[in-house]
Formats: sequence, structure tokens, C-alpha cells
Amino acid sequence: MAEITRRDVLKTAAAGAMAALPAGLPRPAAAQMTQKKELVVAQGGDVAAFDPHQSTSSNDIRISFNIFDNLTSRRPDGKLAPGLATEWKLQGQTTWVFKLRSGVKWHDGESFSSADVKFSIDRSLDKTLKGNRVTTVLTTVDRVEAPDPSTVVVHTKKPDPLLPARLGFYGGQMIPKKYVEQVGPDTFNQKPIGTGPVRFVSWTKDDRIVLEANPSYWGGRVDFDRLVVRALPEMAPRVAALLKGEVDLITQVPPDQGERIKANASTAVAGALYGGLYVLAVNSQRPPLDNPLVKQALSLAIDREAIVKELWRGRGVVPNSMIAQGDNHFDVSLPPLAFKPAEAKDRLKKSGYKGEEIVIETTSGYMAGDKPMSEAIQAMWRDVGVNAKVEIFEYSVRAQKNRDKTFKGLWWSDPTSTLRDPDGMMWRLLGPGGPQDYWRHAEFDELGNAARFSVDEKFRGDAYKRMTKIFLEHLPWIPVIQPYEDYGLQKHVEWTPDPLQQLEIRKFNFKFRRA
Amino acid sequence: MRSLLPFLASRLVRAAVALWLVSTVVFVVMRLSGDPVPLLLPPDAPRSEIFRVRAELGLDRPLPVQYAVFLGNALRGDFGRSIHFRQPAFRVVVGYLPATLELGLTAFALAIVVALPIGVISAVRRNSAVDQTAMGLALVGQSAPTFFIGILLILIVSLNLGLLPTSGREGWRHLVLPALTLGAFAMASIARLTRSSVLEVLRADYVRTARAKGLSEGLVVAKHTLKNAAVPIVTITGLQFGTLLGGAVVTETVFAWPGIGRLAIQSIYNRDYPVVQCTVFLSAVLFIVINFCIDLLYGVLDPRVRSG
Repeated sequence: MAEITRRDVLKTAAAGAMAALPAGLPRPAAAQMTQKKELVVAQGGDVAAFDPHQSTSSNDIRISFNIFDNLTSRRPDGKLAPGLATEWKLQGQTTWVFKLRSGVKWHDGESFSSADVKFSIDRSLDKTLKGNRVTTVLTTVDRVEAPDPSTVVVHTKKPDPLLPARLGFYGGQMIPKKYVEQVGPDTFNQKPIGTGPVRFVSWTKDDRIVLEANPSYWGGRVDFDRLVVRALPEMAPRVAALLKGEVDLITQVPPDQGERIKANASTAVAGALYGGLYVLAVNSQRPPLDNPLVKQALSLAIDREAIVKELWRGRGVVPNSMIAQGDNHFDVSLPPLAFKPAEAKDRLKKSGYKGEEIVIETTSGYMAGDKPMSEAIQAMWRDVGVNAKVEIFEYSVRAQKNRDKTFKGLWWSDPTSTLRDPDGMMWRLLGPGGPQDYWRHAEFDELGNAARFSVDEKFRGDAYKRMTKIFLEHLPWIPVIQPYEDYGLQKHVEWTPDPLQQLEIRKFNFKFRRA
Repeated sequence: MRSLLPFLASRLVRAAVALWLVSTVVFVVMRLSGDPVPLLLPPDAPRSEIFRVRAELGLDRPLPVQYAVFLGNALRGDFGRSIHFRQPAFRVVVGYLPATLELGLTAFALAIVVALPIGVISAVRRNSAVDQTAMGLALVGQSAPTFFIGILLILIVSLNLGLLPTSGREGWRHLVLPALTLGAFAMASIARLTRSSVLEVLRADYVRTARAKGLSEGLVVAKHTLKNAAVPIVTITGLQFGTLLGGAVVTETVFAWPGIGRLAIQSIYNRDYPVVQCTVFLSAVLFIVINFCIDLLYGVLDPRVRSG
């Protein structure tokens, strides 16, 4: 995901000021029922573009996943459910056939059909489209056919087991062919039309977006007349707006603020286990980090339980491998990564480590908890005799280092498992040529490639089991935590968040408590 | 007023040089700060995609060429297309200007209305309880960081007392807290400067003479003191005005006020070169115009400046 709007840049400073003040202000117990007809949501930044092909940032997709639908839909429970397609089948190795939902209308009343699907997928791949940011999402697609209005056939270049999953995330939103061709990309970007549960009304930049319920939504009309999305960049005022009752739902709530929200009589916290991991990626080419024993020692020296409990107030789980809980092929039988300081010292000795400096390269406040976690881990590593150092830089420097592959030690990464599968997360980043390609292993590479192009889930499962073994020995990442993504809401709102920050608001997961 | 023409001409030349310097510095600094493309694309985007987008944005051309294009376009009032908003940068910035002007002018008016009387009273009633309280508060107003004052006001006035909304821009009720926060520093410094310059004039010979003539204290202050104390006050007030318009970054962010300060900071984080360049350029123009007006005001207030 493009990372720019993702975290609150100034939130650390504001959080400091907020923490200095007494929490739990006296407030009357508010009614937990409501007659409201308007849902007000506040997120950390405004959208940059409505055209789903022009953006991948979290602030944008939170809105575009509600204006638009995909063929498949990722539900809060992590499963892939029917969206604009009611069923899909693999024919042979490379041909996927999608049956489309009948009677679906665009917000302007036109009928949705297979021509729109072909247009949407083709446009997502069109490199001549100015501002196209999703050209890499559906690259496995060879061509799309629309044999009749309710059938779409997608041919992939090689077998692609994850095509339905790809179509369920960003880049896979369906847009109206006729409207886009008629008004052009600029107008479409300002006045979007989709098939989703809300339709566009107005947009005041950096202030508010107004949307209204689509009364004839195929998934059922949502329980409000209007959805207002406000951009409140600072975390502390965002929380204040929620506590005061000015907004119904806020995004990106850090653990300490979550406790304030819970302490307040009329507000609550809803969380989803993040569909991804927070890991320390390792430059395994530079000594002493090229030595697996050193990396094993580093991993064994981290007290992850303490990090979850102290820094995250319990809002997270300890990972057991490079596969996130909730993803395909997550191995429930593996124990969480262990904290064994004595064993760590032992392996350090065996490795011949001579006190070389080991650097954690971190941003401050770009990724939730990055700096405090770095400092905690530095202390844990020093306890076992590692000469650990923390270097802090701004996140654009990080983006540059990420692009140029010039990290020299360990650095934070929060890979999102966009397809809820190891291929779309671990392999996308650690695979040959990927952005975190600092370590190669012949067998690991062969298995990763085979699993990418196999439509046999049994084979893929075995491959990932074997890759996990190799991973745990070589540790190209040191996984640290799988945190919760928390949202704050009024108690009169019932809503289940999803793990991929989509903010999907549908009839099945949202309602106001009515008296 | 024959002397006004060369005065104007030299001011205009200086303004043009200042604007050129400002835009050149911003151009260079933004390019030193990093490449926007990695921030626009997913982290796993291949190199070919990065090159394609760089070319699309014109960032693949040599820096001197980019600079020449930038200057040439800027002369014609064209600041390029915003990378983030995909619209002409000028149109984007102008769209944010009304909110900033509304906030800045309100904060400014608030600062003057509160600070001038307080400063004069403190000077006249030097070392009284009123003076000490006012100057104590002014010290706090001048030294507390803006985001702290802002969040404190939100907590106390909005959350605890429930008097005003926490953020956003809808009506005058939404304007009070941000204007107070933004105006706090200006209010404090204008009050302190007013106090000290009034004090200074009160010690002058002609004031003593006026008193000796038997004029009432009120008349002494109103007729003989205020006008003579005005020059430094006008200077600091003018400077504060510029700061209020251009320096609302933190206030606008804390209160989610959709103005150019917030636009600037977000555009810097987004590496949205055209918008940053345009914002800074327009802010510089504002500063220069304000300074120019102050210079003219000096002439009105103090005839010595005109002849000199």
C-alpha cells in the first residue's frame, strides 16, 4: 500500500501533550440509542483521488471501497465472499469464469454488465492512463473476454491461484465504462459513479466528503441517509471529536488512546487483527547479519510478550512465522516465537560474534510504535551482549532507502497481506527482485515460485510449510508483532471492522442502535 | 509626494528579487528532500513503473531544465500540476486561501482588540495586580507551543465545558478556538511591546511637560503618548500579521482547519513539489505586500521616515 497518508505524522507530539493531561474526564452517561440518520466518520487525511485506479493509499480506499464494488469481496472474517460476481470457477489452469450478479445498477441508473468488468480490468493495466497507480495489481491477467452480459472470462498468463483475491482488493474496483468514456478521467475523479452502498454527493477538500445511501443497493440499503467523512489529521483532536460526540467513528486509534475511549461512558473500541505483520526486515548480506546464528540470537532475545503487554496494552499477538494469523496456510500448530535470552547468548557465542555494531533503522511515528519498539528491542539486545544501536530518520528517507535497497541493518516493515495469502505478502517482498530482496536461498526461491504459479492448494500448503522451516532458520525478517487495528466508535454504532483497513460499511456489518 | 515614485520602484525591484530567491530556494530544497515517486507507488512497484511515473511527472529531466521550466511557467502564473491532487497547483492553493484568510484575520483582530488595551493599561498601571497578571499570561502565551495551547483549549473548552466544537470549519463557533490558539502568540507579543513602548514614551520630556501643564492623565495618554508609541507597535503588529497568515501550520492541523498551512505541511510530506512551491510563493507575496504597507504607514505616522 502506498504509505504516505497511512500514519499520523504529528501524532507522537500530540499524544505526548494529551498524555500529560488527566484522562477520563467526567461526562454524563450518554444514551446508547440514537435516532441519527447520518453517520460521521473521521480519518487521518483527506482522499487524493476518487478514481480507484489513481490511488492505493488507505485514506482513499476507505472511501472507494464504499462507492465501488469488486467482483469478489473480502469480509471482516478474512474470507472471500461474492461481490459483483456471484460465483467463479477455474477451467483448466489459466481460465477463470465469473458469473455476474444480475439486476445491479450504477448510481446513474445504467445497468452493470460484463463490458464494464472488461473495461475496468483493462483500464487498471493501462500504462498510458495518466496517474494510474495500480498497473502492478492485475499483471497476471493476459486478456479479458465478455461472451455475454452476465459472464466474464479472464485468461491469466500463467496459473494464478490468487486471481479472485486480487480482484477483491485495490485495483479491482469496478467502474462504469459508459460514464468514464463519456465524461473523461478528470470528471470521473471529481464526481465518481459506482455500484456501491453509498453514492457521491459533494467534496470539500481537506474538510469533508458527503455521500448518501444508495437506496437500491444489491446488498441492502445501509441504515443511514448520509455518510459524512471528515479529515482530522491530528490523533488527539480526532479522539476529542469522538469523545464529544461530534463524530460516530474514528480510524487509527493507538492503544493508549483506546483506553481513554473505553473509559468514556458513551464510546467504545472495535478492533480487527491487522491482516499483516510488523517485522524487522534484515539486510542479510552485511556481516554479522549474514550469519543465521546471529539472527536467531537476535530473535530469541526479543521479549515479544512484554512488547505486546507494555507497549501495545495487550492489543496484539506474537507471530509464529512469516505468515500472518488469518492468512491462507497459517500454521496453527507452530508455537509463538520464543523469548530465550540464555539460548540467545549461547548462539551468539557459537556464531563468533565479536561485538560488531548492529543498527535498527527506524522512523518515528510513521509506523505505530516504531520508535518505542526499537528502543525496547535495543535494550533487550544489549542485555544479551549485542552492540545495538538505533538510528532515526524521516519516512521519505525510508521510502528512498526502500527503493534503492540501501538499508544497512534492520528496519521496520508492516507488510499488508492484501491477498490474505503468503504469496501476496512474504513472497511479494522477500522474493527475488522484491523490495526486500537482501537474502537468497535456492530451495526457498524454488518453492516460492512454484507456489505462486500452482492452483493446487495442497501443494502450496506443503511448499509454505517447508519455506517456514527455512525461514525460521535464516530469518530474513524478524517478526515482532501482529497488532490490532483499532477504531473508536459511539456505543450507538454497531460495526465490525475488517483487517485490511478498508472501512467497508455494508448492511451486514453496520447498524445504528435504534430505540 | 515626488519622493514616492523612486521609493516605490526600489521596493518593487527588491520584492521581485526576494520572490525569485524564495522560489529558487524552495525549488532546490524540495528536490534535495527526496523523490515523490516512491511515495506514490506501492512499495513493491518495479523499477520500470517508477521510471514511467517519473517521466509522467517530468522528473526525469535534468535539474537545470526542470528549473528553467519552473521559472518560465511561474512567470506566467503557472505553478504546474499538483502531483497529489492532479489539478493545477495554483487552483488548489487558491482554493485553500479563504479558510486561511478567515482564520488569520480573525486571530489578528482578536489579538489587537485584546492586546492593545491590555498593553496600555499595564503601562499606565505599572506593577499593579492587573499589570502583573496580564504580563504573566503574556509570558505563557508567548512561550507555550501552539499545539499545546490548541489541545489544551480543546480539552478544557470543548470537552470539559462542552462550550465549542473541537474541530472543523462550519460557522463562527468553529472559528473561536483556532483563532484564539493562533492569535495567542501575537496577542502576547503585541501586549508586551505596547506596554514597553508606552512606558518609554511616558518617561519622555514632552509628557512631563504635558503633565506639568496640568492635563489630565487620560488626556496625556490619549493625545501625547499613544501616537508616539505607535511606530514599534505597528512594526510588530505587521510582522505578526504576516506570521498569522503564513504560520498557521500547527493550528490548522490541530483543528483540522482546511487552510494553506495545513496544505503546505501535507504537500511537503507528499513531496508535492508544485503545491509547496506555489504555497510558499503566495505566502512570500503576502509578506512582501504587508511589509510594503507597513513602510507606507511609517511615513504617515512618522514624518522623519518620509524625508529620510
